[in-house]
Amino acid sequence: MSEGPKKIIEDITEGFAEHGYICSEQIATAVYLASELEKPILIEGPPGVGKTELANTAAMYFKKEMIRLQCYEGLDESKALYEWRYGKQLLYTQILKEQMQEVLEGAKGLKESLDRLMKFEDIFFSEDFLETRPLLEALTSKKGSVLLIDEVDKSDEEFEALLLEILSEFQISIPELGVRKADVKPLVVLTSNNSREIGDALKRRCLHLYIPFPDAKLERQIVQARVPDISESLQIQLVNFVQGIRDLDLKKQPAISETIDWAKTVILLNSEELDAKLAEETLNVLLKHQQDIEVVKKEIPALVSSATETSDGKSIN
Amino acid sequence: MEKVLTDFVKALRNSNVRVSPAETLDAVSVVNTVGYDDKELLKKSLSIVLPKTPDEKEKFETCFDEFFSHELKQQIELNQSQLSDIKDVDSNLAKKLLEGSQAELMLSIADAAEEAEIREIRYFTQRSVFTRRILEKMGVGKLEDELMSLGASREDDLPSELEQELRNQLTNLRERVSDYVQQQFLLHGDVSGEQLREQVFKSMNMAQIDRSYLHEVHTLVRKMAKKLANLHSRRKKNFKKGKLDIRKTIRDNWVNQGILFNLSWSYKKIDRPKIYVICDVSGSVGAYARFMLMFLFSLTEVVSKLRAFVFSSNLGEVTNDFKDAQLDEAIEKALQKHGGGSTDYGQALTDFVSLCLDEIDKKTTVVILGDARNNFGPEKANLLKSINERSKQVFWLNPEGKYRWDTGDSVMTKYSAYCTKVFQCGNIEQLERVISTLLKTAI
Repeated sequence: MSEGPKKIIEDITEGFAEHGYICSEQIATAVYLASELEKPILIEGPPGVGKTELANTAAMYFKKEMIRLQCYEGLDESKALYEWRYGKQLLYTQILKEQMQEVLEGAKGLKESLDRLMKFEDIFFSEDFLETRPLLEALTSKKGSVLLIDEVDKSDEEFEALLLEILSEFQISIPELGVRKADVKPLVVLTSNNSREIGDALKRRCLHLYIPFPDAKLERQIVQARVPDISESLQIQLVNFVQGIRDLDLKKQPAISETIDWAKTVILLNSEELDAKLAEETLNVLLKHQQDIEVVKKEIPALVSSATETSDGKSIN
Repeated sequence: MEKVLTDFVKALRNSNVRVSPAETLDAVSVVNTVGYDDKELLKKSLSIVLPKTPDEKEKFETCFDEFFSHELKQQIELNQSQLSDIKDVDSNLAKKLLEGSQAELMLSIADAAEEAEIREIRYFTQRSVFTRRILEKMGVGKLEDELMSLGASREDDLPSELEQELRNQLTNLRERVSDYVQQQFLLHGDVSGEQLREQVFKSMNMAQIDRSYLHEVHTLVRKMAKKLANLHSRRKKNFKKGKLDIRKTIRDNWVNQGILFNLSWSYKKIDRPKIYVICDVSGSVGAYARFMLMFLFSLTEVVSKLRAFVFSSNLGEVTNDFKDAQLDEAIEKALQKHGGGSTDYGQALTDFVSLCLDEIDKKTTVVILGDARNNFGPEKANLLKSINERSKQVFWLNPEGKYRWDTGDSVMTKYSAYCTKVFQCGNIEQLERVISTLLKTAI
């Protein structure tokens, strides 16, 4: 090893930051190990903490092609792995019929015809008629790729089983053609919102990264990176406010993506200071359920005052 | 160093983090990549490979801190050299303490621990017992005697240098043994006490479980329910309707010169059962109903159509309460609203029949939980007969022991004639078995 792992992890953190993704050390370690051990990473965490974004950024950082497979109920191998070009295959059989005349011309007896037929090259099941889908594409990519299998929890259990071969061996068996192995192993990122429990077999094959809501410090860095126009005091106030909201009992907690949207909204409204009125008016950017909005509305004065107070303390220090 | 890692994995498993051998191998390759030097980095790296749920990650953190603090302490101590003159002491242990190397001392602790059968340690309350036992095996008694005589023979009030040194060493030794025991406990013991509690809860009569343990029991029930759900969730029926499977169609019709003659359909239908539960929630059986409902509503993955009714005299549906609210609350609410009062099975059956006999079909399983103690009222067993005829099956779960059926005002036999199966269901283990049968047959 020319460089220590510590150094590489720092490089990753910096490199990701250049692409606008601020990651904790834990995340950077996971990315490092995934690329070092050539194992897929399964990322879990509440929606909006940047699971998908992590894969995007990794693709940019490693300068690899990004291939994305969005999972949903009913997703099967013909949409995820490969499919035959049926139309072309049917046409091929038509051509074949005409060709047959030439091939068999002058053949004497059944045996000779059969021999000629056997010698005739058959390409009905061959690469020519193979339509690659994301998973196969990621494996056959010559330069390597980042394969994002998004929201794997939305797919059926059968599909999960299908993934096992790809994730552990980086290969796909196509019954008609045999086993396709990856030349360059792709970096595989799976994300899950935990709408159902992922099977143990799949978990076992992956590194497991849990991304929680960020703490105030990290969230401030993220907002700063994503919304550079924001003034420091306002940014601190907004983040403190959001952190305060996350302590309340809500149906859906505001995630980082919502904090960023909110910061952009506030900037758009040309506000310099967070106050109760502004918070109330823009609350629907942050919260997506009427119930939650009502819960938070009652708490706004307290939240705003504590958010601005702590920010004053910070700015004095 | 691999030994440390496998020991750590063992400690993890003990604190209920599931680690497979393959994951241990992953951990080894992680350690080979990042090395042992940076503890923080090691922790972060291992936390990606070994624990696989947020819950497990938390356990991993505590386990890691605890385990490696002992490990490191040991190594630091081993590096310290011992500077002490050989003194004139009698007991073996004293000699060892004064002249032996730290490594030797550790070895003798391990030997003594082996003799004290440290592997048998299960519960955290046993730690002090084992510490004492190991110290005794090492001959602390003799050393203490010697210290006593040293103390008695001293001329002035100040303890001699030798005595001081021995006392220090003894305290040191005690600490080390207790650390050792703690580590062994992490390796062999039931760290969280969970296994013990689970065992007790499973076989305990449900009515006897104290309400302060409800939360724990709920976790246990959920765990058992998840196991059952995994077992039964994969049953599916082929269904000849829905999407055209082009691939299969072409493959099948290849023989017809590519003319699509026989169509194949790819749709699969998940056949989920309908379950109707009727629970007696009068005083005597209320506690059982709680666990029964807890179990069934933890099974929503497998059982999509579940309707629950509770009664003491009049029947009321509680399905929606359970869907919206927290389970504990919902159960409380149901018991409050319908519980108490004298039991009237006849009335309950009448209500049930008028409410939803029409909806019962050959896919429906009806489960009745109750002790069949009818206060000598009309039992109306013919209603149960008509339910039985329309449904796929009727299960009756009776929390009372079989020997008490048909005693007093119990009319179990009259009802059991119209049940597909009758179970005794007094503790959670029995409940699990019943529900497993239910899922097996209901689908």
